[in-house]
Amino acid sequence: MTYANRKLLCLFLLFPFLIFSQEKFTLSGIITDESSNETLIGANIIVPSLQTGTISNEYGFYSITLDKGVFEFQISYLGYTSVVQMIDLNKDQVINIKLSEASERLNEIIITDDVEKLNIRKPQMSLNSLSISTIKQIPMVLGEVDLIKSITLLPGVTTAGEGASGFNVRGGSADQNLILLDEATIFNSSHLFGLFSVFNPDAIKDIKLYKGGIPAKYGGRVSSVLDIYQKEGNSNEFKMNGGIGLVSSRLLAEGPLKKEKGSFLLGGRSSYAHLFLPLFDIDNIAYFYDLNTKLSYKLNNRNNIYLSGYFGRDVFEISDSFENTYGNTVLNFRWNHLFSDKLFSNLSLIYSDYDYDLKLNFVEFDWTSGIRNFNIKYDLKHYISNTFKLEYGLNSIYYKFNPGEINPTTETSGINSFKLIDKYAFENAVYLDAELQITDKLAMSYGLRFSSFLRLGQDELNVYENDNPLIFNPELKIYQKAEPIGTDSFKRSEVIKSFSNFEPRFSMAYQFNDNNSVKASYNKMSQYLHLLSNTSSPTPLDVWTPSGKYVKPQILHQFALGYFKTINKNNYNLEIETFYKTIKNRIDYIDGADLIANNAIEQVILNGQARAYGLEVLFRKNEGDLQGWIAYTLSKSEQQTKGRTPEETGINDGLWYDTPYDKTHDVSVTGSYKFNKKWSFNANFIFQRGLPATFPNGQYEYNGISVPIYEARNSSRIPTYHRLDVSAKYIPKPNSDKNWQTEWIFGVYNVYNRNNASSISFRENRTTGVNESFKQSLFGVIPSISYNFKF
Amino acid sequence: MKKLILIVLSITMYSCEDPIDLNLNTSEPKLVIEASINWIKGTSGNEQEIKLSLSAPYYDLETPPANNALVSVFDSNNNEYIFAENGTTGVYVNNTFLPILNEAYTLNVNYNGETYSASETLKSVASIDSVEQKNDGGFSGDETELKAYYTDPANIENYYFFEFRNNFTTLPTLEVYKDEFTDGNQIFGFYTEEDLTTGHEVTIRNYGVSKAFYEYMYILLQQNSEEGGGPFETTPATVRGNCINITNPDDFPFGYFRLSEVDEINYIVE
Repeated sequence: MTYANRKLLCLFLLFPFLIFSQEKFTLSGIITDESSNETLIGANIIVPSLQTGTISNEYGFYSITLDKGVFEFQISYLGYTSVVQMIDLNKDQVINIKLSEASERLNEIIITDDVEKLNIRKPQMSLNSLSISTIKQIPMVLGEVDLIKSITLLPGVTTAGEGASGFNVRGGSADQNLILLDEATIFNSSHLFGLFSVFNPDAIKDIKLYKGGIPAKYGGRVSSVLDIYQKEGNSNEFKMNGGIGLVSSRLLAEGPLKKEKGSFLLGGRSSYAHLFLPLFDIDNIAYFYDLNTKLSYKLNNRNNIYLSGYFGRDVFEISDSFENTYGNTVLNFRWNHLFSDKLFSNLSLIYSDYDYDLKLNFVEFDWTSGIRNFNIKYDLKHYISNTFKLEYGLNSIYYKFNPGEINPTTETSGINSFKLIDKYAFENAVYLDAELQITDKLAMSYGLRFSSFLRLGQDELNVYENDNPLIFNPELKIYQKAEPIGTDSFKRSEVIKSFSNFEPRFSMAYQFNDNNSVKASYNKMSQYLHLLSNTSSPTPLDVWTPSGKYVKPQILHQFALGYFKTINKNNYNLEIETFYKTIKNRIDYIDGADLIANNAIEQVILNGQARAYGLEVLFRKNEGDLQGWIAYTLSKSEQQTKGRTPEETGINDGLWYDTPYDKTHDVSVTGSYKFNKKWSFNANFIFQRGLPATFPNGQYEYNGISVPIYEARNSSRIPTYHRLDVSAKYIPKPNSDKNWQTEWIFGVYNVYNRNNASSISFRENRTTGVNESFKQSLFGVIPSISYNFKF
Repeated sequence: MKKLILIVLSITMYSCEDPIDLNLNTSEPKLVIEASINWIKGTSGNEQEIKLSLSAPYYDLETPPANNALVSVFDSNNNEYIFAENGTTGVYVNNTFLPILNEAYTLNVNYNGETYSASETLKSVASIDSVEQKNDGGFSGDETELKAYYTDPANIENYYFFEFRNNFTTLPTLEVYKDEFTDGNQIFGFYTEEDLTTGHEVTIRNYGVSKAFYEYMYILLQQNSEEGGGPFETTPATVRGNCINITNPDDFPFGYFRLSEVDEINYIVE
């Protein structure tokens, strides 16, 4: 293709609307819930006669541009009564639509086209949505509704074991997921070291998980995007809801600041088991709490503002010797502005931090660390025509990293105060994403994100001979830390090191007919922050470190191909996807790397690579009294860290090895059955290949202890994991007046009490000196009960 | 530090632990060199021993000795100290060793036709000042804990290897410390053992060691640690010491050639 031709093609791709000439008008507005005035995300606006439509965005806004004419519009949303309206489109119009929740007493026809159903026409693939009502039905350990644990029932999403924190998407590590709560980054998604997730289900409106084909709007993490939106709060009337469970209790209040204009939401959740521990003479304390707040105000038809906050903490105290607190804080101001009925914009100003504090009184020290960032995002969505949409925007994030600080807790402590050097960075991105319906059957989206990362000046950056912080000792065949030959200090405004990357994104869908389509996508992404963790899953004390002179950014390339089918008018759908991805510069740690309180991380890490590939099948039933899905994933996730020269051994002798979260087979079956208005039942069954582990293949004696000799990294497996959970929901008075509603949820986790191994450990018996191996298991059969109410 | 927290996590998280028998793979036996020259303060340090053994399958109760090796240590002036095997025990002894602080020594082992070698320096150590006993210590708050205090010399990097042995468990408790955060201060080696109580005898040894040994032992203890397993486990790996196989470099031996000044205290739990 000649240069001129390419230019023409670019023009064609960017400005397809130029070829239209007929008179066109735009219908736009906001779609809300009638009773609460809560905006509805992902509601469908369909014009059946033209076989076209659109969906409402994250702020409930929709815009559709059609030729002049009279059209029937169907507006529908899961669980709501659809609205059918004839509209004479002879001028641009703003129509705000209110949908009311479907009441079963009336025999209405409910169109249940919803976000969870498959949209086989749109080019976006590898996207999973779960509604909060679905999540609330899934039986969970101790009856605690858990957003993160719920998404692990989807294909391609796993965790590194029951008690592990975070989640893994398509063979990626937990720190490669971008978790957004109202557009703000959440750095730690777990409570109690991974037993529960930080999201209070009552305060959440919508979640989306992008596993691949990630739009250019998102960047900064290479595996996935979990995009979560909080509710705005009821702007019509004051409402409360809450629940009492075995682990935690919840209470949420919402109401109008000014009727139909402004609203507030205040939700809290706290575990309370610790309150009873003193009764049993246990001085150990472990609890967590979350606070979700939001204020929304509609200034006028074109401007909305939102102020939202999240505050969560975990607290542990073990006798007087150990005190540990940590958590996220997020503050967020957003301004929605409509430039026109076709151009929607959102400006976000976000502050977010994660901090960690540990006091070890028996060794008399206090350790703190954290990360904080200021984030400006400006996103625009341009509904140019019915077949062409543009999204563009920019994003700047300023980071301050506190890698750690040690202080003595007593005057007589033998510990000297010590502060690790703070690090600073500035991450910027601009993006443009286009979605184009080329023909009735072919749609594509393509975009480009340009990201840059500036590592800013800091004090005392180590300098090494030949810029090499990690020396290989060829005689002993081990890596050794290099001694710094000096340090450099920089002004905060100086740039020590900069990176930039063009990240193209592309996806397309070809629809054979109403029921079948194929989609393909490619995306490149870069990640400039790394969570330093050499454990199977992250721990709360792991620290984030920015790319810089010695740590390179991770670069991902992902290809995915999928086949999508709807059966029986969308009653069932089937999604089959395959993916292949590679990640450059995945950091790996030399044996015995100390990652905490280390001012010179570069002395213990090597840059390696990772790859993952797999097949995902999701079969879902969307309607009727029995609903649910079957998900199966066949995948492989590996990493490799070769020596930098032929002489070096690298890590694991430079050979590929399975990542700690590689699960070859992963099956989950989730079902719900509505028996009658009072009773409904849910069950899920999970079957997974055991996680990789490294077992000893010998031992020797040294200094009076037996030292295990280990085989190649992760070359064995812990036993297969499977379990069945069930739950039943009972609504005592389903037809009662809507003012006071209650429900009971009874659940049993791990019904047949399988002692699933969460790990295998090896040790020498202290008394007998005999080597032994043990299987650890976390949860046996656990019954639960919880009570929810709203008024 | 991370290790401490992981211990706490393991205690709080694991509700259930069952013994399990696994069909483990077996690696080829390798030579293990435990060449620890210990010069206890106040002694001549003339009598020294070096242990050679072979690695064995993980569940075996014993590891076999490595017999009929030729073992020598050289100082920097090329004085040779020959270590002769005591019967067929795999223990090689010498009664004329002359320890000198900060002297560089070289170990030479010839076993089964292959030559092994290692070099290391004899490191000095700070004395144990005192031992403090606390009866409501440990993580649970009801264990007897001992703190063996010593004073770190200021402005030089020091590394310590502590060994606690008692008269009722088979295994010693081993710890390594560096002075990165405690330089020049009085600090302690920390010991706690379940069931430790009045009348028990504890032998506390503080060895002066090199940075390389500190790093070796740090990894080795991590691998051997009781709290292994679980999502917070670090990936285990085989640890390499400072001995090399000159004949066949790829077939490296296990173990370490260490030379330390040692301070020893016998403490009877009150």
